Amino acid sequence: MKRRALLVSGLGAAGALVVGWGLMPPRDRLGAVDALPVEAGEVSLNGWIKIGADGTVMLAMNRSEMGQGTHTALAMLVAEELDVPLARVRLVPAGADRLYGNVATMVTGLPYFHPRETEPGQETTPAKAGQWVVAKIARELGINVTGGSSSVVDGWDVLRLAAATARARLLGAASIAWKQPAGELVVRDGVVSHGSGNSAHYGELARMAAATPTGEVRLKRREDWRLIGTAAPRIDAVAKSDGSARFGTDVRPPGLLFAAIRHCPMLGGSPGAVDVAPALALAGVERVVRLGPYGGSTAALAVVGRTGWHAQRGADAIKVEWRQRPAGGLDTRKVMAHLEDQARAAATSDGGFAFHSRGDIASADAGAARHVEQIYRAPYLAHATMEPINCTARVVAGKVEVWAPTQVPGLARTAAALAAGVDEGAVTVHVTYLGGGFGRRLDVDFVGQAVRIAVETGGRPVQLVWSREEDFTHDFYRPAAVAILRAGLGADGLPVTLRVTSAGDAITPRWIERAVPSLAGPVDTPDKTTSEGLFDQLYAVPHQRIAHVATTSGVPVGYWRSVGHSHNAFFVESFVDELAHAAGRDPVDYRLALLKEAPRHAAVLRLAAERAGWPGQGRSRPLEAGRARGVALHESFGSIVAQVVEVSIDNGRPRVHRVVCAADIGTVVNPGIVAQQMESAVIFALSATLHGRIDIVGGVVQQSNFPSYPVVRLSDTPVIETHLVDSTRGPGGVGEIATPPLAPALSNAVFALTGKRLRELPLQL
Amino acid sequence: MEILVNGVARPLPDDLADQALPLLWALRDLLGLTGTKFGCGVGACGACTVHVEGEAVRSCLLPIGALKGRRVITIEALGSAEVPHPLQRAWVAHQVSQCGYCQSGILMAAAALLAKKRKPSDAEIDAAIANICRCGTYPRLRAAIRSAAADMA
Repeated sequence: MKRRALLVSGLGAAGALVVGWGLMPPRDRLGAVDALPVEAGEVSLNGWIKIGADGTVMLAMNRSEMGQGTHTALAMLVAEELDVPLARVRLVPAGADRLYGNVATMVTGLPYFHPRETEPGQETTPAKAGQWVVAKIARELGINVTGGSSSVVDGWDVLRLAAATARARLLGAASIAWKQPAGELVVRDGVVSHGSGNSAHYGELARMAAATPTGEVRLKRREDWRLIGTAAPRIDAVAKSDGSARFGTDVRPPGLLFAAIRHCPMLGGSPGAVDVAPALALAGVERVVRLGPYGGSTAALAVVGRTGWHAQRGADAIKVEWRQRPAGGLDTRKVMAHLEDQARAAATSDGGFAFHSRGDIASADAGAARHVEQIYRAPYLAHATMEPINCTARVVAGKVEVWAPTQVPGLARTAAALAAGVDEGAVTVHVTYLGGGFGRRLDVDFVGQAVRIAVETGGRPVQLVWSREEDFTHDFYRPAAVAILRAGLGADGLPVTLRVTSAGDAITPRWIERAVPSLAGPVDTPDKTTSEGLFDQLYAVPHQRIAHVATTSGVPVGYWRSVGHSHNAFFVESFVDELAHAAGRDPVDYRLALLKEAPRHAAVLRLAAERAGWPGQGRSRPLEAGRARGVALHESFGSIVAQVVEVSIDNGRPRVHRVVCAADIGTVVNPGIVAQQMESAVIFALSATLHGRIDIVGGVVQQSNFPSYPVVRLSDTPVIETHLVDSTRGPGGVGEIATPPLAPALSNAVFALTGKRLRELPLQL
Repeated sequence: MEILVNGVARPLPDDLADQALPLLWALRDLLGLTGTKFGCGVGACGACTVHVEGEAVRSCLLPIGALKGRRVITIEALGSAEVPHPLQRAWVAHQVSQCGYCQSGILMAAAALLAKKRKPSDAEIDAAIANICRCGTYPRLRAAIRSAAADMA
């Protein structure tokens, strides 16, 4: 019960908010009509939906579009329930109201329950209670986050209900106006009609609908869906093919100035003596601004110029004596050695925080026929979003306006208010398209910086754009990790015991400190992301201890697409493959033998194996000479993915030819976008698996641009197939889920081909 | 100083039009043509690709002083809303874009390729599209280039 107590304490000060929640009305996420500002001719029907005079449906869009297709998917939910074509839904920015916070990501992210405890319909009482409490906290806090593959999960009920409620009121209005029973009304493409000849579009009914009680609201039945489940074209596709899509760097308010930045090259260091004269002597350079640490950043100097190039030239011209941080320069080799020491010590002493234990591992180990133990390693990684880190800000007469490609507009608002020394109410945040996020834009360091610079520019707006070098060398990196995995095998070769002891920095407490300081607690509570993908895997091993040692290396760490799963899947799925080979069993059969009580997982694995032509799985297909296959299975963000990777060795490096991806993501909203995201995550993971590593020496990050941090290009791209399991469960996550299995599937294929087991990322033969 | 962009001679402010100013910043920060993107600043990613006399060029490394009246075409003039370039139609049909940030550069590189090679081989496509896309739109952009090539044949 220790971990329950910890969980509750982990909820911290927010726990006080519990009082009175029982009195909150149901459907409180629909919001009041005044949450959504209206312009002339528009009528708001709840906090999410308003109707234009011409019948256009406007949806308050609270999530950031960073490529994952969420704008399209969420608009589809609303178009479906309102019976309008997707093209009739126009997105309007959701404001700062707490209504637009993300409940799902906190519910799945905060409490560390095993998936067996949270299976829909079979939740254990503590899990149910924990989820309820966290949902209430999340609703009260109202933190708007686009992350954790949660947008559709979070919007699934509330947006459909908001649209269905709006529809019911529009029909109610028609029913009253025409004196006809609502049940006899028909809606087609946003036009309500009745057999008597009456007909009106939503725009004509909206004003009356606003005064009409909601009446009975029913969501459409699955069999009546016309849009959900179809590969509807993305609503941003045209703007993203003609250069008109507006990203953060494309904002052009009148009088715009540009700023370049130079952080102290040593992470955590600061500028000492500074000579700005050479910069100010250059044409087009306006001023230099000293920047302290903002939102966890390293201290920096910013140069304001008339173009980004003039500003950058100024930044390059400044003479600075940079100072190392007081604790001395960070060094990743030392960090890795420390992680290994920590993991080894904990592995032999039942140390670390046990996210999952079951059975009696000590006595079961004694009875095992033999043991397999290995150590695995993963490096720090950069996000490298294509759109460099940037933010535009204007500070005039105590009012702050911010244009930001951000995954957390509310936290950006707080950061802006703090930097300008104003109340949050004086800050307006405009969220642009994001040129990639991958978790980097869950941080708001760049927002505080931009606002601080804008305080100095006499009311003129300023756009801060980091150079690519600043991006690579001052990221919040995917934490490095080390894991020791030890299994005791029975006489049949199947594992009886599994002990995983990993070590690495926890992201969440560091992120809360810098991005949500109001919620920071005095001590770090266990962070699920450190052990996700390890403690929650469903292989039937009767005796387990899955523990993590949270370290504090000092390296700035952040959320990176699929977070802990990104390396933990590599650890566990490579190790299971090792066990299969140790047992002399086929890797697919071996996994299936461990998944007898996890039928969804087994089905996904079978589907991938069969479609890939895996021997003995229905459609065996021989491979070209010099190639081999590897497999991996991983659940993350409520969805299950299996991948089969086909590899050869080309000039001493693995070359991937084909990736067959099978997934059970529950209900599929848009299979076209899902396939896009499978391809996206596979290629993202392939870059990391083959190339990705950040090294720090003397506090200085050694990789500074794409030539030293290579990523996959077109010529390295495999064929990628996606196969989806039919499901009527609620939707699971999509954007991150295909990242985790790629590294182990590829490494397992390399082993099948070469007999070499690679236990460290990036893979090197 | 003037530069010839999308068929129009565009004057640049004298005090900022340094000969060394790379074309990318002239386009984006002086002329407001923001469709062309900054990605890496070292010619490695291709987000800044434009056409200069029909050649795909990385505008982050090309000083305006070197243009000497040569014609520049950017994504804004690749096609029009009424008549999109066949590649732009294929981009939508194949649902290529995700975040979309790198797509202008890739489209310009692909358009320069198809202007020269009506039926490029896979190897020729690989060589012409050395751009970086972190969303991994590669499989779809290859299919879109092939289908646009077929449309243009």
